[in-house]
Amino acid sequence: MGVQNLSATNGNAASATAVYSYGVTWAGAARPQPGVGVAGGSVEPVRHGELAALTSHVESTKIRATRRDLLSHSDVLSAALEQGTVLPFRFGVVFESDAALVDDFLRPRHDELTGLLRTFEGRGELTVKAFYREHAILAEIVRENPRIARLREVTRHSNEASTYSLRVELGESAAGELRERTRRDRQALLERLRPLAIDVEIDEEPIEHEVLRASFLVDLDRVPAFDEAMDELARSQAERMHFKYLGPLAPHSFVSLTPAEGR
Amino acid sequence: MAIATQGTASNYLQRAPSPSGLADVVELILDKGLVIDAYVRISVIGIELITIDARIVIASVDTYLRFAEQVNRLDLTQTEAAGLAELRDGGGNGGGKAKGSLEGAKEAFSGGGDRQKDRAERG
Repeated sequence: MGVQNLSATNGNAASATAVYSYGVTWAGAARPQPGVGVAGGSVEPVRHGELAALTSHVESTKIRATRRDLLSHSDVLSAALEQGTVLPFRFGVVFESDAALVDDFLRPRHDELTGLLRTFEGRGELTVKAFYREHAILAEIVRENPRIARLREVTRHSNEASTYSLRVELGESAAGELRERTRRDRQALLERLRPLAIDVEIDEEPIEHEVLRASFLVDLDRVPAFDEAMDELARSQAERMHFKYLGPLAPHSFVSLTPAEGR
Repeated sequence: MAIATQGTASNYLQRAPSPSGLADVVELILDKGLVIDAYVRISVIGIELITIDARIVIASVDTYLRFAEQVNRLDLTQTEAAGLAELRDGGGNGGGKAKGSLEGAKEAFSGGGDRQKDRAERG
């Protein structure tokens, strides 16, 4: 079982010195994508056994995360996902040659990768982000917390120097209140969404006014139920939150390989 | 695999079928996905810096003062009207300040990265 595609891609080999890789899919589902890869190159499958890696020849093994190439990587995976299950690589995986890709990766990990493809068959990643509407959430805090309302009354019309410590206190209280509301609202969103998913990955690093940033692994036939839940949440929270909802995508947040031996 | 690309059933909240903005893409493919350490040959000058910039830590006097200023600037009599306006304009499918400023930061870092690159190429 050799490197079936080597001769097909050797046309570029004179100038190309490395093989950029987007992801792994079933050999039968892999399709070339002319002219849309990183650095404007074409996307070619490199097949081994039941597997195909989607690749582009690039001039250097050193890849920069430029805006255009980041978008290309994402677009190539989206197009591949239309054809079948895809295991996405992180941006920047480069092999020295098609032969190295097969010998160092596809062959030794053939069974592990086909196992992963089966695991993710018929599943997709949905990403959900929820943000507070800044004015609405701050107004809510002032309305519902009498101490914050009082501090606000004291500090808002007096000169800055004389109310410095009160303003620090106001800000600290408001920030604490916002944190607490974020925690509660995040929990409520997760309680509604988590039962519809097989798995969930939650990003815990706070971004200002962000309530939730999470990826859900779902069976594709549950996507309509997830849509319904999201729609319900977006409606009921509309005055104080807005949402970004994306997918189904390749399972970026859920794929991982067992550590390589002997490294 | 044919995947429905329509929004939700009632079309109140739109589900985007694939990432469109750079910020979405960066989150997905720089932090996540299969990785084989020996084969990642990526130069991410500038990117980690800006990702951190976009993550605000609410725990300093400066942040508290900024918070206090925001609270003090609030016009509570306009809360209802503003809420409704946001509803009308935002439609619940993103938009809004938080997204704008985050994506602004990511755009900026992308530019920064390119400047770094240019420097590296000249140097």
